[in-house]
Amino acid sequence: MEGLHLLLNGFASSFTAVNLLACFIGALIGTLVGVLPGLGPTATMALILPFTLPYGPTTGLIMMTGVWYGAMYGGSTTSILVNIPGEAASVVTCFDGYQMCRKGRAGPALALVASGSFIAGTIGLLGLQFFAPLLGNAALSFGPPEFLCFMIFAFVLLSNLSSEAPLKGALMITLGLFLSTVGINPMDSYPRFTFGSEKLMLGIDFLPIAMGLFGIAEILSIAVEKYVKPVVHQVRLRDLYPNGDEVRRSVKPMLRGSVLGFFVGLLPGPCTVISTFAAYSLEKRLSRHPEQFGHGAVEGVVAPESANNSAVMGSMVPLLTLGIPFAAPSAIMLAGLRMHNVEPGPMLFTTNPDVFWTFIAAMYVGNLMLLVLNLPLVGLFARVALIRPQILLPVISVLCLVGVYSVRNAMFDVWVMVIAGILGFFLRRWKYPVSPFIIGLVLGPTTENSLRQTLLMFQGDVAGIGDRPLAVALLALAVAFLVFRHWPWARGKGYALKMEEGKSL
Amino acid sequence: MERRLTLETLFEAVLTVLGAAIAAVSWSYGFGTLARPGPGLYPFCIGVATALFGAVALASRLREPARREPPLDPVARRRLALLSGIFVFWIVAMPVLGYVVVTLIAVYASAKTLELEGHVKPLAVAGGTALFIYVLFDHWLYIDLPRGMLAGG
Repeated sequence: MEGLHLLLNGFASSFTAVNLLACFIGALIGTLVGVLPGLGPTATMALILPFTLPYGPTTGLIMMTGVWYGAMYGGSTTSILVNIPGEAASVVTCFDGYQMCRKGRAGPALALVASGSFIAGTIGLLGLQFFAPLLGNAALSFGPPEFLCFMIFAFVLLSNLSSEAPLKGALMITLGLFLSTVGINPMDSYPRFTFGSEKLMLGIDFLPIAMGLFGIAEILSIAVEKYVKPVVHQVRLRDLYPNGDEVRRSVKPMLRGSVLGFFVGLLPGPCTVISTFAAYSLEKRLSRHPEQFGHGAVEGVVAPESANNSAVMGSMVPLLTLGIPFAAPSAIMLAGLRMHNVEPGPMLFTTNPDVFWTFIAAMYVGNLMLLVLNLPLVGLFARVALIRPQILLPVISVLCLVGVYSVRNAMFDVWVMVIAGILGFFLRRWKYPVSPFIIGLVLGPTTENSLRQTLLMFQGDVAGIGDRPLAVALLALAVAFLVFRHWPWARGKGYALKMEEGKSL
Repeated sequence: MERRLTLETLFEAVLTVLGAAIAAVSWSYGFGTLARPGPGLYPFCIGVATALFGAVALASRLREPARREPPLDPVARRRLALLSGIFVFWIVAMPVLGYVVVTLIAVYASAKTLELEGHVKPLAVAGGTALFIYVLFDHWLYIDLPRGMLAGG
């Protein structure tokens, strides 16, 4: 009953003009970002973060989640109508979405995806509402050793799930962790890696790095590619109605995708992307007609799109309950909340319950807003995809430059962004995952605090961790994951044989 | 077996050296004791991990046959260099010329680099962007952007 009462209070707080407007603007910008190439949700969230500062943490959180969430909606539009995914989590939607479009079923595909996203968002929110306070209460018993072991566990999973080559993921994490040590260490006020520079004393801000790695790098990547004018299939509002068979075939994939996506969202790594592939392959396995996949199977469109929306909500659980972001956009949110002097983690539910419940309530509203926004305006959003990169990229570049400068009025930050952008361009070409870099950068201080507090706690005797069952369990899980991932015999003889035959599972 | 020095190999070598350098510099910050860790312990661990991962990545790359990314074609290389140059120009010239002038030049030059045809369209995009930035950042958000020459000195 207390939860319901808090949720009702959350609805009361969310129905303010500022919060509703933030939700609408976030959802609209997110949808546009999802449709347009050039800025993904992470870079956009980093760009708009400073603008949310005057309006408080709840409004900021609502707006940023709206962007992330809206991008999931928007990405599907171009996947279905143009065969170009607006962002990575919509790649899978192209497989069958565009085929449906070619068969003249683009309207129903869009309508079912929007409905699926709405249902998934609602299920994801229910999951968040249920799991977050539960895990938050459990996390109250976390001490520095548990946090340290959780970080190790998260980094192991992150490096292995973010890239085909775990070493590349691990290198990106260590680089991020290193950058977080630059500046005056708050624990003992000792300057590190500053080399006498006053600018470096303040440390390297995460915003220019995020904007560079996700914004400038994306701009450069698009700029060097040959532009092929997309052909957009037009859809009118009256074309959106799916037939009975399509609705019947979509219901179970929507529900399965929603539940699967939520739980994938709890894992470290690019959860929205992984969830779409997982949902697609699950539906293909369960289908009586797997041969239809890739040729316009409606299940192959609605399941991944439902999954990526609920994955967004799933990934909010570790962020809000433990203060540990598992994906790049949630790392931006963590940094944003910290800028608002709100520390997500177990104490959030006691110190700032209004932030959590207003956010939950506003996301219910935002979810509905996105449905209403996306269905009637689908034709308009599709036309937005026709804006040429020759026009779009120069505008976005300058917006990034001015946006980063405006945060601290520091040209140093702009230099950092441009260098990070050029580095990010090459990292993408060499298939280095950049999300672990950002997550390492944001989690660096927490990791160091946990390590040093753990050592202090046990008087330097690290074997003391053995007396903490939860910490041991987390380390054991990390080791088990590594064994499972890297030693084929651990997965059984059949797997080893398939690997030898060169078949990937 | 063909082995070539690629940019990626060089990057992994740089990371290995960087890791070693981080560890070496951290050494000078002091480790303290395990019971009372000093400021150098944590970055030292990171440096060692970076050097180790970098070295393993480098060694495995040198062991395997050369697998080069298709190189950027001359047009792409030119665009990359020009756009990077435009970013640097924006940073260096902004305090002198002011954000309006620099934005006009940078957007126009970027649009031409990306081969937007004619002069009217690039100028219109540049003008529109400068106006948008003025309205959003200067007029609405009161952000103190350098005006350079426009400030009258």
